[in-house]
Amino acid sequence: MIQTANGEEIFVIDAHIALWDGSKENQLNIHGEQFISCFYDYHKNLSPKEYYWPWDKFVKYDPETLVNDVLVKGYADMAIFQPVYLKEFYKNGFGDFDANDALSKRYPNRFICNGTMDPRHGERGLENLEKMKEKYNWQGIKLYTADWYGNSKGYKLSDDWSKRYLEKCQELGIKNIHIHKGPTVTPLNRDAFDVADVDDAASCFPELNFIVEHVGLPRLEDFCWIATQEKNVYGGLAVAISLIHTRPRYFAEIISELLYWLDEDRIIFGSDYAIWEPKWIIEKFLEFELPEDIQEETGVTLDLNVKKKILGENVARLYNIDIEAQKEKLKNCELNERKAKLNEIKANF
Amino acid sequence: MEKEDQVYRMLEKVYDPELDQPLTELGFIDHIAIQDHHVEVVFRLPTYWCSPNFAYIMAEDIRKYVSELEWVHSVKVHLLDHCASDEINHGATKGKSFNEVFRDLSDGDLDELRKTFEIKAYYARQEKLMKYLLKNGMTKKEMIGLSLQQLNELPLSEEGHLLRDKYLEKKRALNHSNTLAFTTPEDKQLSEEEFSFYLQGAKRTRMSMEFNAHYCRGLLETRYHLPSND
Repeated sequence: MIQTANGEEIFVIDAHIALWDGSKENQLNIHGEQFISCFYDYHKNLSPKEYYWPWDKFVKYDPETLVNDVLVKGYADMAIFQPVYLKEFYKNGFGDFDANDALSKRYPNRFICNGTMDPRHGERGLENLEKMKEKYNWQGIKLYTADWYGNSKGYKLSDDWSKRYLEKCQELGIKNIHIHKGPTVTPLNRDAFDVADVDDAASCFPELNFIVEHVGLPRLEDFCWIATQEKNVYGGLAVAISLIHTRPRYFAEIISELLYWLDEDRIIFGSDYAIWEPKWIIEKFLEFELPEDIQEETGVTLDLNVKKKILGENVARLYNIDIEAQKEKLKNCELNERKAKLNEIKANF
Repeated sequence: MEKEDQVYRMLEKVYDPELDQPLTELGFIDHIAIQDHHVEVVFRLPTYWCSPNFAYIMAEDIRKYVSELEWVHSVKVHLLDHCASDEINHGATKGKSFNEVFRDLSDGDLDELRKTFEIKAYYARQEKLMKYLLKNGMTKKEMIGLSLQQLNELPLSEEGHLLRDKYLEKKRALNHSNTLAFTTPEDKQLSEEEFSFYLQGAKRTRMSMEFNAHYCRGLLETRYHLPSND
């Protein structure tokens, strides 16, 4: 929770975090090594220098580091795990459902543990999805459509099997589908970042929410177009919001476009931890003001009220979190004392 | 001109289609090696995962433009540190089509993709010029009615000159024949009613391209420990 200078409380949910293992021991091949290296380049490219991690920490960090970075230092009241498989690159996969689950039990009411699925796993995968729902009570799914599987370099949400999996999600009450688009979806001769298949899925499954992570970048224009048509499409700010430090003007352009096309109720904050630490992102976001010319051109507002929606209220709605009730539940959490000591931010509003 | 300079002059014509910027400016050319009539161009990209189709377009264009030099008999293209390096290097050097190289993963060649990104580049360049003219006092109505000749005769600042040249270059690449200065990618006239909507759409395309450019430049610098270009 963040308290502003005039005593207003901001409830923060970091909707995109991970606890990964990219270590040498877990790497299966050169792709595993390159995958985590690429993340590390993202990390160093956009983080402020004082937030650079050493390589050894970055490839594998322990759960308590995550708790400290996200919940204590990082202002978040709650966080959502978005795991991915990457089983062709890592022996035990990149994410770990059990490790996430253990953390959520260790710190009750702090974490939401989403799962993942891969429509190329066929019938077996559908059965597995049911079991997983039972075991972990998944509320949402992270999809990485660029994951490799055998000879396949990716899939689309409009594929027949994808539809069967989404149908199963609907049936099981897994309502939130977070989609990350990576660069190797086949057929390879087309635009690999095309988000058009999200449009198709969103209109086929109006009861599901589709959160497009990284707001469809690098195809912002397609994403805005789709989100305007489909009311169950949301924009996840992970990656885009990290531009706030090195490219503040460009971030201003993105956020104002999103506010213009999607409205303020469908934009969701996520830090993409551990690529970036939420602390600096949230501090800069709270201080952020749209440049006058951009504000004039789009006519949108980014005031504290809108920021509160983006930082927590919007995603709380998707996950049926009643913020006041949640605050009550967290009242006696052992982390509160540590949080209070570190959270000295006083936003000037 | 030295052979090396001639090769670099040709490489200036090779663009990253997603970023609409030349490889030479982006720092994507690692080095070139010339032996008599043979040229090897070694290039690199911001990540190991950059889309193989765009990488292939660049590799094809490197081969195509460098081959245009009269003294060049063969061009070897060498992409470093990429998940599809082997396929791309072999295919582009031999002059194979994308579909031949990635037979199981594609259902055609790259012409449509090239066209899509040519149009995006057109929108992006056009929007920049339009914004510049609006800022300098031209009205929407004047812009819609402006002829190509009038655009060419406008007295512009250095920045304006550059924007105009870039825009007209793309316009020529799309084979436009309309005498109006500002038309859609299909060369249709713009109406006053749709003007603002059209400009907003073009802006989003421009922003996507800029995002890619910011991101890719930064990642390349981080990946290869280069000094920042800002």
